[in-house]
Amino acid sequence: MHSITKRFPGVIALSNVDLNLYPGEVHALVGENGSGKSTLCKCLYGFIQPDEGTIEIDGSVKEIRTPTSALQLGIAAITQELTLAQTLSVTENLLMGRLPRGRLGIDWKKAHALARVALDQIGANIDEHSRVSSLSVELQQEVEIARAISTQSRVLIFDEATSSLSEDATARLLSKIEQLRSQGVAIVFVTHRLKEVFSCAQRATVLRDGELVAVVKMSQTNESDLINKMVGRTMTDLYGKRRIAVGKPLLEVRNLSTPDGKIKNVSFHVRRGEILGVSGLVGSGKIQLGKALFGAVPATGEVTLDGRRIVLGSPSNGLCAGIGFVPDDRKNCALLMTRNIRHNLSLPWMKTDGFTHFGLVKRKTEAALAGKCVERFRVHAPSIESPVVNLSGGNQQKLVLSRCFATNPCLVVLAEPTRGIDVGAKSEIYGFIQDLAEKSAGIIMISSELPELLGLTDRILVFYQGELCSEFDPRTSGEEDIAHAACTGRALRARARELASQMEKC
Amino acid sequence: MYLTGAARRWVGEKSLRSSSLFQKASLGRLGGVIIGLVLVCVYLSFSNPLFLTWGNILNIFRAQSVIFILAIGMTFVILCGMLDLSVASATGVASMVLGMSMRAGCGALPACILAIVTGVGLGFINGFLIGIVRISWFVTTLATLSIYASVILVITHGSTISLFTFDRFKSIQYLANNDIGPMPIILLIIGLLYLICAVVLHRAAFGRAVYAVGSNPEAARLNGINVPVTVMIVYTIAGLTCGIGAIQQVGRLTAAVPITDPNQMLAVIAAVLIGGMSLKGGEGGVTGTFLGSLFLGIIQNGITLQGISAYWQGTVTGLILIMAAGLAVLRESELRHRIRRALRAVFR
Repeated sequence: MHSITKRFPGVIALSNVDLNLYPGEVHALVGENGSGKSTLCKCLYGFIQPDEGTIEIDGSVKEIRTPTSALQLGIAAITQELTLAQTLSVTENLLMGRLPRGRLGIDWKKAHALARVALDQIGANIDEHSRVSSLSVELQQEVEIARAISTQSRVLIFDEATSSLSEDATARLLSKIEQLRSQGVAIVFVTHRLKEVFSCAQRATVLRDGELVAVVKMSQTNESDLINKMVGRTMTDLYGKRRIAVGKPLLEVRNLSTPDGKIKNVSFHVRRGEILGVSGLVGSGKIQLGKALFGAVPATGEVTLDGRRIVLGSPSNGLCAGIGFVPDDRKNCALLMTRNIRHNLSLPWMKTDGFTHFGLVKRKTEAALAGKCVERFRVHAPSIESPVVNLSGGNQQKLVLSRCFATNPCLVVLAEPTRGIDVGAKSEIYGFIQDLAEKSAGIIMISSELPELLGLTDRILVFYQGELCSEFDPRTSGEEDIAHAACTGRALRARARELASQMEKC
Repeated sequence: MYLTGAARRWVGEKSLRSSSLFQKASLGRLGGVIIGLVLVCVYLSFSNPLFLTWGNILNIFRAQSVIFILAIGMTFVILCGMLDLSVASATGVASMVLGMSMRAGCGALPACILAIVTGVGLGFINGFLIGIVRISWFVTTLATLSIYASVILVITHGSTISLFTFDRFKSIQYLANNDIGPMPIILLIIGLLYLICAVVLHRAAFGRAVYAVGSNPEAARLNGINVPVTVMIVYTIAGLTCGIGAIQQVGRLTAAVPITDPNQMLAVIAAVLIGGMSLKGGEGGVTGTFLGSLFLGIIQNGITLQGISAYWQGTVTGLILIMAAGLAVLRESELRHRIRRALRAVFR
């Protein structure tokens, strides 16, 4: 790809970026959010067209107009957003457009066998007969990966494909990538997890604000060097230091359950100024816990906040009680993508006295609120009137956070607050969370990223199949302890004690 | 505050000031209908000297008045990402109630109030079924379209109630057809209704809720907006405009007609969509609706002036609707970029 340039309204997403791919190479694309990684990938697999620049394959210039023509040229992509037909079976999705034909229509036996082969290739433990909608997001992502790999393309693009995968599935995928590489496939690998980059890539292209910063050989660089190149400054302390002690109990949860059985009899407490981490595998009920506390899903149990009992099951009750909630899916649950920043930020204030006057929104108050949010949270946007769609992921997430924090909540539930955003924005968000904790609010941070839980929180709860299985002190435990508890439902140390007692008996 | 190169360029110096008027008008959405309006007006004023007379312009507004009124309600509904297929039938029922109450000896004002209450009630039924009971809007409004239409026939046994002989009907007829100074009264009423609608949509908390529900119902719910009630009120507003539209319809026809015009529903939806609104909801506004209704009115007027058979009207409305939808596709997709690039290549 030569000097690719792409402009979006108000922003140059890519300017004169080159990218060379060689067969048998894993090439990582790294950079902060909004640096243009995904845009570059989209140009390569024909989802969007570059405004300037050319794409050459085997020395001849090709114009890639659609993802279909990219496929014909041997370029397949796996993206963060799932593109599966939810109501069809796994087999039908895997072989979409190329189901084998028998004498009487489709040869299902052969189709299922082919699908099995494709799934086995990446070691995915999925029944090929099941409907896609019955699978978790993680498994759906695996189906998507299997589909792309089974097209036997010469160029494979993994655009944040691992962001919803568990550690185990990621490891399987990385070994598969290694195998494909040895078969001569060129692979573009986009991720925010630098560890993965170092474990699989040979070279990396670093992008910053749509410009090419460096192309480095992985053998000649290290993690902090790469981060420096990405952000253009040194990251000293990503998580920041706590300056105050944890205070009195704020939230008391007793026997919280949801009728769908995703949470069963959970009891815990949160103190003022405390950041409580919640960990667990995909589908362990950790996200559901946040939704249940806020009232986004029906739930039963006894929840008291600051001594007052909370009526569960309604988001407006949650808001009134002083709970702030940042959902894990900002596109589908948090933001009004068709509206501008101002309209998004004033959304929770519509029933507040002082914000409206005889049912009419006070314009000055609204603009002041939006301006303050944007300024305090350093949202990069042309103005408060610009549409939310045009913002990068990190800025959108900052917007969601600022909206939540602006209501002065005494308890904040954050579900995956840093999913799919860059290191710079992450660090800023950690700072905002620390600030809020200092104002003696309680914070529940639900996250799949263990490093941030260990670095930021005061206590970590681990969920396993809807139940609270163990509690960790981040100062004395490591990633393995938590990962083990999340996978097995038992704490590593408890297991060690078990073994020890068995030894004694012997 | 740290900003890297491109980010600083992007944010610019005046980053947090309110945007310009031009941006607010968002000509992108209204561009199609404005260009269409100008082209048609220029063509008609050159080909027919009658077109640009004050009398003819007022005629356009008068003939299109019912569509103008009904399109307001439809704007709210489409902003929520839904449609109301029962508008024409509900208007029919309300006009029947108006006619029957006048025949039974009601005065003009009580009869009008009865018609409006009927419209509100019918809209409320739609809204309750869709918002609270959660039946899909398509099934609900398709069903009520059929029910309301047959209710008219049941209560009237299919006969027209003509009202022009009644003295007490004169005031409604006056409102619908006469002028204050140079302006038709109904045009002033329509203008007032659009003004109220614009204020509600852009300034009121309720308007924000409507946009939020259309844009992302889950986000709206999580931010404390009562989605079912919002949907219910939106359909009730649509019903209210049916009630008001019914009065104007009866005033113009001087009779309450038992047969509902299926084209009326299409014309109302078309007016809103031609105004640049997306069927997905959450975008657009009342300005587009006004221009869309006006555009349809001018086309209709042009067909009459040019002496083309009125039978073509449906074809023309349909074609314009398709063109408007095509423009929306162009607006939202990569196509525009592609065309721009192709043009650049040609002129280079």
